[in-house]
Amino acid sequence: MLPNARREFLAGCRDIAPVLVGTVPFGFVAGVAAVGAGMTPLQGIALSFLAFSGIAQLVVAQLVAAQSPALVTLAAALVVSLRFLMYSAALSPHLAHLPQRWRVPLAYLMTDQGFAMGAQHYGRPGDRGDRHYRLLGTGITLYLTWQAAVIAGALAGAQVPESWSLDFVVTLSFLAILVPALRTRADLAAAAVAAAIALVGAGLPYKLALVVASIAGIGAGVLVEWGHRR
Amino acid sequence: MNEWIVIVGAGAVTFLARASFIVFADPQKFPHGFRVALAFVPAAVLAGIVAPGLAMPFGTLDLSLANPRLLAGLAAMALAVRLRNPLACIVAGMAVLWGLQALAG
Repeated sequence: MLPNARREFLAGCRDIAPVLVGTVPFGFVAGVAAVGAGMTPLQGIALSFLAFSGIAQLVVAQLVAAQSPALVTLAAALVVSLRFLMYSAALSPHLAHLPQRWRVPLAYLMTDQGFAMGAQHYGRPGDRGDRHYRLLGTGITLYLTWQAAVIAGALAGAQVPESWSLDFVVTLSFLAILVPALRTRADLAAAAVAAAIALVGAGLPYKLALVVASIAGIGAGVLVEWGHRR
Repeated sequence: MNEWIVIVGAGAVTFLARASFIVFADPQKFPHGFRVALAFVPAAVLAGIVAPGLAMPFGTLDLSLANPRLLAGLAAMALAVRLRNPLACIVAGMAVLWGLQALAG
């Protein structure tokens, strides 16, 4: 690795370090949830290596536990992964110059936190030539930490006392990245409407509440944005 | 058997969502309305995930002060607005939750 590439890679590893305090318990919870849903530890770990998404893993675990049809479970996994479309769209102009052997692994390693870091460092001035190494450093660090935590959770199973409320780390992890995403009045409208619909629609089967809430929230954001421009 | 279909399928679905634009699309060709809508995806989806975790932790709506997760979440949110630091948000949220649970005995 060239010195500059190496420096970017290590900077990427350092960028993500503060987030790992949430990643470890979150991954642990995801591992416990998979086993608690009736999957074997091997299945829970395989799910994690393939999907590498805490929310998708938790949703799959919930629906497997409820014995939902495979198609419904996959539809729910798709719905909660739709935010990756947006991250992918936002990062793609920065990565368009790279060959596919770079773009495929960087896409695979993309997460909410990794995207947030990547968007920040591509926004800074200076030479952008080696910045994909930084993205790679962030992605690999998060990936290895996550998988280690999931494996520990899947093997520990239900041995964690419920009074620790470790599952609350999941909500807090998303809260920690939601807040910086609220910059404009339209963002706030999107979040408020989605939150309200998610609560009102919680009785809907198959995690549909999140789909409906997300679509309604996106609609509210677009309406406020258009109203603001006129 | 059914589990393995779901596991491989979930891997495919999440990868395709991530790869969509980075691997397959030309970013120059997105219609304008689509780009506007995409910008609200994180705020809407993340709020849709967070709200039930705070306001209905055990399946029923609880907006009262007796709901420690709601209070802990609001405290963590207030801190996140000020500090913009994910670490502080997560640590403070858990600390407040544990504190309230200890007080409630």
